[in-house]
Amino acid sequence: MTNTRDIILTTEDVTVTYGTHEALHPTNLTFAAGEVTALIGPSGCGKSTFLRCLNLMNREIPHCAVGGHINYHGHDINTPKENLYELRKSIGMVFQQPTPFRKSIRENILFAPKRHGRIRSKEQADELVETSLKQAALWDEVKDKLDRSAYALSGGQQQRLCIARTLAMKPDVILYDEPCSALDPLSTMSVEETIRDIASTGICEAIVTHNMEQATRVSDRTAFFYVGDMVETGPTKQIFSNPKDQKLVDYLTGRFG
Amino acid sequence: MTRDLDAHAAKIGKQDKIATGILTLIVGLVLALLAAIVVYILFQGLGKMLTPGFLTNSPLDDENPGISFELFDSFYMLLWTLLFSVPISLGAAIFLVEYAPENWVTAAAKTAIETLSSLPSIVVGMFGSLFFVVVCNFHVSILSGALALTMFNIPILVRTIQQALEDVPRSQRDASLAMGLTRWETTTKILLPAAMPAIVTGVVISAGRVFGEAAALIFTSGSAPARLNFASTNFGSPTNPWNIFRPAETMAVHIWKLRMEPSQGNDVIAWGCAAMLMICILLFNVLARVLGKALAKKMTAE
Ligand SMILES: Nc1ncnc2c1ncn2[C@@H]1O[C@H](COP(=O)(O)OP(=O)(O)OP(=O)(O)O)[C@@H](O)[C@H]1O
Ligand SMILES: [Mg+2]
Repeated sequence: MTNTRDIILTTEDVTVTYGTHEALHPTNLTFAAGEVTALIGPSGCGKSTFLRCLNLMNREIPHCAVGGHINYHGHDINTPKENLYELRKSIGMVFQQPTPFRKSIRENILFAPKRHGRIRSKEQADELVETSLKQAALWDEVKDKLDRSAYALSGGQQQRLCIARTLAMKPDVILYDEPCSALDPLSTMSVEETIRDIASTGICEAIVTHNMEQATRVSDRTAFFYVGDMVETGPTKQIFSNPKDQKLVDYLTGRFG
Repeated sequence: MTRDLDAHAAKIGKQDKIATGILTLIVGLVLALLAAIVVYILFQGLGKMLTPGFLTNSPLDDENPGISFELFDSFYMLLWTLLFSVPISLGAAIFLVEYAPENWVTAAAKTAIETLSSLPSIVVGMFGSLFFVVVCNFHVSILSGALALTMFNIPILVRTIQQALEDVPRSQRDASLAMGLTRWETTTKILLPAAMPAIVTGVVISAGRVFGEAAALIFTSGSAPARLNFASTNFGSPTNPWNIFRPAETMAVHIWKLRMEPSQGNDVIAWGCAAMLMICILLFNVLARVLGKALAKKMTAE
């Protein structure tokens, strides 16, 4: 599947150390346009740590060092002179807890594009708000209250607002760290649908999840992590129907988690 | 089994009642004490305070001396103190929370600030008189006084602002950084607005503390009632109210001064002044709450 699509991101022997503790051993993975990759594995195995490498968020953590190469559109971004602020405009991230800013719904969407000087006119702003919210399947619910505080939304709506806000940056990669773990089943379903829809527009996505059903529902490929190692990766169907590594088998059958 | 549980529940219920009772009593005592102080000062001073002319007459008025200059000086001194201390504290707090590397220098700075915040104000005043008045040659003046009060105010303000910034959930910061905003943009556009209610409350409460401060000012801005001429346009003149190089006497210092020269008349004025000072400070506290609440409300539900 990967062969037929454009490769956006590849990691080559990426490692992460916190102080002296190597939390992620050399990891090689490939992410393609229009594909969703699920990162699964028991708690503390390094999924979030790995995900944060991809948009250089680990640089915000003191004493955290990332080794290896991260190739984004063919060029290594894991270098000191890479402009992280520029990079993060095209690699978005959605967090576990919905994190709307203390602003109106409209301002939440426009905040970053405005700061980046991308908004030229009122019409353009309105259009961006509308298309982003529609893409995140939130438009119908909020179109009449765009100037209300984002905090007046439900948790699921807040999370979709965060996705819309990320989409407004026009990224070609979106990273999700357990985006549904704070949501009820219905909100979870709509976020999953949103993730699928976004993939169909050609955006490359990676999602950390503890929910196996979710991984099978949303992802094309799956990577299984275990205590700092990326143990097995492949098409999601194959990972779940025909796991090879014994640890993965144990994990899927619920022997640890 | 159920009997045991019932007994246990009854026991817990009883403990709960006793604890609630004791705590209510303590809180009640504290409130009563506070109310007693307020009522006593008002009882002693309110009459004088409300006498026509007291708040508007000059302290040098022979027939009916008032506290108009002290009132003006108190607010004017506060204004300059806040102009100096708020930006410095804001900068220091932002630096400590957002930029300072986690090392021993930062740790030492934080400890130093905590220590400074418990420095006796009379000591700050002595330092101020040596440093600002003598070394910097600012003389006994509003400038020296405001700088001494700034030293007195900064540690507390830095700590409040630091706390306010740290209380903004980390996730807000990460979300902003993950959208390609720089640290500075994140601080000014996301963290500061989110922390603003707490910062404003902190600043106004610290203003109340500064407003009532006497010891730090006695050696730095003086204790002689200034002779002010509100019609003056010569900004270099010692009688021009806006001139920051002139000596000044705030209400708190005035009270101290009057009590040093006891007489029937002076005592009455001191009580009137105390009542006014206390009302101002109570108002500061009310203002702090109202402003903080209003700002927080504006931000979460427009
Ligand atoms: N900021 C940090 N400082 C030090 N160590 C960290 C930090 N963040 C993570 N670690 C360590 O790195 C390892 C991997 O953590 P990580 O958060 O990536 O796990 P995870 O797979 O995302 O777990 P979970 O499913 O619980 O979110 C853990 O051993 C953790 O203790
Ligand atoms: Mg995690």
